[in-house]
Amino acid sequence: MSTSYIILPEVPWLWAGLGAYAVATYTAIRGVRMTASAAGAAVNRNYEQVVMLMLFSGVALLGTALGVRWERLGHGPFVNLFELLMSQLFSLGLVYSIAYWRFPVIRSSAVVGLSLIWILGLWVLLLRPADSVLPPTYYNKWLWVHVGVGKIFLSMCLIGTGMAGVILLRGRPRFAHLFRHMPSDAVLDNIAWRFMLLAFVFHSLMLIAGAVWAQDAWGRYWAWDALETSSFLTWLALGMSLHARMTYRIPIRVGAIAIVVVFVLAFMTYFGAPFYSQAAHKGVV
Amino acid sequence: MKRQLSKLGSVRLALIGMVLLAGGAALSYGNPKSTPIWVLVVPLAFLALNLLAAIATNPRINRRPGLLVFHLGLLGVILLVGFGRLTHMDAHLEIVQGSAFDPNAIHDVKKGPMHYGDLKDVKFVQGNYTVDYAAGMVRGLTHDHVLVPDGHGGLDEKDIGDDRPLTINGYRFYTTFNKGFSPILTWMPDNGKPITGTVNMPAYPLFSFKQENTWTPPNGKQIKFWLRLETGLNPNKAWVLDGRNATGKLVVNTGGKRVELNPGEQVRLDGGVLRYEDLTTWMGFKIFYDPTLKPLFITAIISVLGMGAHFKQKFDAMSKHINAPAGDTNEVGGYAKLPPGRVV
Repeated sequence: MSTSYIILPEVPWLWAGLGAYAVATYTAIRGVRMTASAAGAAVNRNYEQVVMLMLFSGVALLGTALGVRWERLGHGPFVNLFELLMSQLFSLGLVYSIAYWRFPVIRSSAVVGLSLIWILGLWVLLLRPADSVLPPTYYNKWLWVHVGVGKIFLSMCLIGTGMAGVILLRGRPRFAHLFRHMPSDAVLDNIAWRFMLLAFVFHSLMLIAGAVWAQDAWGRYWAWDALETSSFLTWLALGMSLHARMTYRIPIRVGAIAIVVVFVLAFMTYFGAPFYSQAAHKGVV
Repeated sequence: MKRQLSKLGSVRLALIGMVLLAGGAALSYGNPKSTPIWVLVVPLAFLALNLLAAIATNPRINRRPGLLVFHLGLLGVILLVGFGRLTHMDAHLEIVQGSAFDPNAIHDVKKGPMHYGDLKDVKFVQGNYTVDYAAGMVRGLTHDHVLVPDGHGGLDEKDIGDDRPLTINGYRFYTTFNKGFSPILTWMPDNGKPITGTVNMPAYPLFSFKQENTWTPPNGKQIKFWLRLETGLNPNKAWVLDGRNATGKLVVNTGGKRVELNPGEQVRLDGGVLRYEDLTTWMGFKIFYDPTLKPLFITAIISVLGMGAHFKQKFDAMSKHINAPAGDTNEVGGYAKLPPGRVV
């Protein structure tokens, strides 16, 4: 790790935020294990308060990291992968924290949801926090709308995937006992798909806002670039999953796999495009 | 007939259409020339028919206002995109500072068979521009000043650039990274009238190392030009490209003769005299025309609002169910109660 990584002012805040997420994830896993081994009536859910506190602390610390970097560079976290990951860690954490607070039924699925967030956490630690320059087309106000609704979409997907992950893990003998205190698969399935419906709405809005931005920025609203193609395929996959579920009453586990597939496609759209496209959006540079 | 229409509007066919569209989308990644447009047109046409039939026959769609609006909106989007492609126009333009827009100067024109716009009514004059660069030659904001008729016989100055196109009669003119310098030259032939014009040098600063071009006078020999520019460019520092702060010495090569000219100087060549009048700039524009942009946006937004309204109605119904007296609900581990049915 280079010296320049350590001395950048936003990095200590980033580490502190990730540390808080780590404590939240560890506490969630430990709490679920303890709950699993406890007798039904004596279930102690105090650990959930610790998870919630750590999640909100992590969000505040990552928000500070973003703010410090923003102040230093003079622009938001929109350009390089380090910024995108840091920004997603903040927004996913924020929406997940609110959902964790407002919908107690999803709490045990934090074992899956927070672990997925940690993929980004580990990834960002491996990157150099290189400075970036905002391209001229990124001053457009529609970028904010596009990014904002996109973040809500991914967060909804993450929550749905957390629930789907519980359904799939419960199907394996090794993990079955861990989530026995959670609602039935049918109920989890219902809740997971509710979040996926919201994800579909926000994904549609993301495509619309992105098209308006692209029209202003590059003189075309759609050009099948890496992100556009990948996000459209994700939207189609989600649309197909919803239609299939509505019409064919697909088994719950198959539905859970469909949710995971949509999440993987969305994840690839957000974080995979830089690997197979020099400029995720044509005209970015 | 109704049964056939119902089959045409089935979810099974919708899923097949979506799979075909996904295939077409994957093949269209990067707009490869080898991929025909039909890989998208066929699935979209298929889905449009399927949607139309489903809207007409499927009560799960046409009896639910939100879903109906969403699916009608989707159909509208497909039709508008199709109409947009039939009537669109894409083109490029290089225009020299001080020149009026000339519809005959556009190139790389691609337009749909039903394109009905008329560029003859588009009038503007290109002015000066500045482009900000950060250290490392990273391009920043472009400020291009153009003069457009104000409708009262005068001209208004507009600041356009990057994501702020000049829009006239539905045509959108976007500045591009493609811009540079042009020496203004006058050719005074031994026999005939003088002509004045410009020779656009390659894009600057992208090709700052190669500011060369050629021109052949009427009945003359080809002349090679090399422009030695002083613009203040330092790749390691922030810098503003501004034609007003630039100077350029023109190196003229023809028939073994090499001459360096400053603005205002001239040289005698075979068949006439070449005068280097001044240095100016040119800007490259991308032109885009599609009459469906606003209707497309409105239709898409209404469509999503319809979907959102449908889901809200569904979720509200669930909430009522949750708050209903016990009996029809499922206990969910002490957290909440949810109805036994499916959300979707």
